[in-house]
Amino acid sequence: MSKRVLIVVVVAILLLVMSGIVWARGAPEEEVYPDRTVTIVVPWAAGGGTDRVARFWADEFQRELDTPFVVENRTGGSGAVGHSAGATAAADGYTITMVTFELATLESMGLADLTYADFEYLLQMNEDAAGVIVRSDAPWESLDELLEDIRNNPGQITFSGTAVGGVWDLARVGMLLEAGIDPDDTTWIPSEGAAPAITDLLGGHVDVITNSLPEAQSQLEAGDLRALAVMSDERNPTFPDVPTLKELGIDWSGGTWRGFSVPVGTPDAVKQVLIEAGQRIADSQRFRDFMDDAGFGIRLRLGEDYAEFVEEEHYTWQTIIREVGF
Amino acid sequence: MDVVVQLLHPSVLVPWMLAMLFGIFAGATPGLTATMATALIVPISYYMSPVAGLAMIIGATFTAIFAGDIPATFLRIPGTPASSAAILDGFEMNRRGKGGFALTLDLLCSSIGGLIGVAILIMVAPPLARIALRFSSAEYFWLGLFGLSMSAVVSKGNTFRGIIAAAFGLLISTVGMDVTTGHPRFTFGQLELLSGVGFIPAMIGLFGLSEVLKLASDPATLNVPSITQSAKISLLGALPAIWRHKITVIRSALIGTFTGSLPGAGADIAAWVAYGVSKKASREPEKFGSGSEEGVIAPTSANNAGLAGAWIPALVFGIPGDAVTAIVVGAMLMYGLRPGPLIFEQSREIVDSIFMIAVVTQILLIGAGLLGIRAFSRILRLPRNAVMVIVLLFSAVGSFALENSFFDIYVMIAFGIIGFYMEKNDVPLPPLILGLILGPMVERNLRVGLVRTHGDFLPFFTRPISAVLAAALFITLFGGPIWNLIKGRLKQP
Repeated sequence: MSKRVLIVVVVAILLLVMSGIVWARGAPEEEVYPDRTVTIVVPWAAGGGTDRVARFWADEFQRELDTPFVVENRTGGSGAVGHSAGATAAADGYTITMVTFELATLESMGLADLTYADFEYLLQMNEDAAGVIVRSDAPWESLDELLEDIRNNPGQITFSGTAVGGVWDLARVGMLLEAGIDPDDTTWIPSEGAAPAITDLLGGHVDVITNSLPEAQSQLEAGDLRALAVMSDERNPTFPDVPTLKELGIDWSGGTWRGFSVPVGTPDAVKQVLIEAGQRIADSQRFRDFMDDAGFGIRLRLGEDYAEFVEEEHYTWQTIIREVGF
Repeated sequence: MDVVVQLLHPSVLVPWMLAMLFGIFAGATPGLTATMATALIVPISYYMSPVAGLAMIIGATFTAIFAGDIPATFLRIPGTPASSAAILDGFEMNRRGKGGFALTLDLLCSSIGGLIGVAILIMVAPPLARIALRFSSAEYFWLGLFGLSMSAVVSKGNTFRGIIAAAFGLLISTVGMDVTTGHPRFTFGQLELLSGVGFIPAMIGLFGLSEVLKLASDPATLNVPSITQSAKISLLGALPAIWRHKITVIRSALIGTFTGSLPGAGADIAAWVAYGVSKKASREPEKFGSGSEEGVIAPTSANNAGLAGAWIPALVFGIPGDAVTAIVVGAMLMYGLRPGPLIFEQSREIVDSIFMIAVVTQILLIGAGLLGIRAFSRILRLPRNAVMVIVLLFSAVGSFALENSFFDIYVMIAFGIIGFYMEKNDVPLPPLILGLILGPMVERNLRVGLVRTHGDFLPFFTRPISAVLAAALFITLFGGPIWNLIKGRLKQP
């Protein structure tokens, strides 16, 4: 090969490569979302409840949108790490975050400088109300009897369910405040989650837990535990005999929820694609079966509705957290 | 019999075997733990029968817990937290060219320990689970303190420096959110520190990276292969050693099963407690820490048994005994099974399948384990400088993989440097690890326990199980010296 031929070949290759780059640069304008892998950030550990819901949705999104959706667990700091990572990701729709109840409390608890305003909202698919659960051999036959006992013997009754300032702790505080009882008249025993709290209750080391009813379903069904009330607007269809707080004259409901969000500034077209796909998934029988089997309550809120709900939550919990001063 | 036929069906057997190979890979890769292996398997298992899913999970976790000992023995990087005790004697044996023997011993005892654990699970799960229920903060506090007292045992005779290391571990373990108030401590505004200093990256740095630094500071040793002889693997050769130490195997497996069955303690703590108890009970305690057979046998018998123990509360109450069974309980709900008091009546055949799978897994483990040891020992034929590059790579990837966090790589590097200087100054590393693992358990249970009792210390001594544990701790710590004192008095007329 002569030198001249070599130069021609090199120049030709260079031109080809450059035109390739230009072509690739030009492409996004006609790009259809999504055309590459979408990451779902989950602020909780692999294998937990939130993770299971997220992985189910990743599979379903993948089917609907024909693009890989992968789950990335960013754990730590009571959800602060994952929520922050999701909020600060590129606002291009390729990183969506499974936000949970904790987003509404991170700022008030002093854990992260992060609020509802750091996200835009796609859809919420789950809500699980707090319960009031005692051992079957406990002396209280109704919530009234329990509350009366707390009034008469302040400081005697212990509650548990999660970490200090976690969802079930705050739900307890909300219930007691609404019932006109000083939350400090009960003692909150911090636990690392539902399982240790249930163990503690079964073992007689605490008196009441405020976990969601599905979390204690096997013990409730086996008759080891008893639910006195549920903190939701309507009764839980799986537990039709358990009255709501509102029926019992206490105007309070509270619990945890999960949904999908994207960083602020994500294009509307992208959000629309995700919301529409999400709506189809939420309408499917597969989704309902999944939630029933796993014991998660279904609650669907889309776009604006969801955004308003999270904003409301922020102020509800902020009031309660300030009131007790965590 | 039906159960056996069902298990031998290809639709169960094939995923089961594959999961065990995956378990070897996950366990032997630092940063990939048995918990992560389970979390990765569960979504796949939804497309299979419940039995196949459970076979995959059980197969993968038991193999992963053993496989964690492979890099611990060969490279001094524990593959999973439950293997952190294996770096003591396993690695020392490897240093003397007996790594293959150590791992064969380790593998067989894993299998035997697992079998004992599963046997207990099958026979006495309900009563044992009831005992576990009686454990509350006070009991866990003493158990944790008992574990911490092992610091002195694993200090290689250098008790004072051992205590310094343990105290440093305890200090590091206080970083993160305060358990009783929810306030951040020593986090300096770093979000990543809210959940504390990552235990796994710290462990990988302390042992893995520090070893690299040590070798790099002595270049003369770098060009020779890590092992001069081939890592000989002979199952029969290990049997006499196991027979000699049969009591150690059984005792460690019992400790492991019970510790594992407590929802507040797991296989990692089980391994350390078994190691400490075995050293105390041994006729040749001075050999521990310098390549003792018992030192290899005790932790490995305990950690596999601990894994079996964790199934006890999971099946009986639907309350997971560790992170693995926590995921399993969730998966079982998806299979339409509800672990808890009713499962023994409502789904007896599934319970039988679980038992059967767990037994057979212990036997299959030997085959899978041998494969893992062989594959891994190839690395050691490389010159040492190449091995060290692999260690570095493993350390970085492993630290990152756990939480997808670059921050954890920095943690790993920081602890690598700390570990290097500690060893240079003869400060033993294992007490630091004990402090890190047990610090949160001791602190948490002391403080939550005091919340329960409204600040009263008395129940820590008067609750029945608490009192026994406290007495046991007292006797272990002071029994020997006091006994010697009495004996000395008696001899003097």
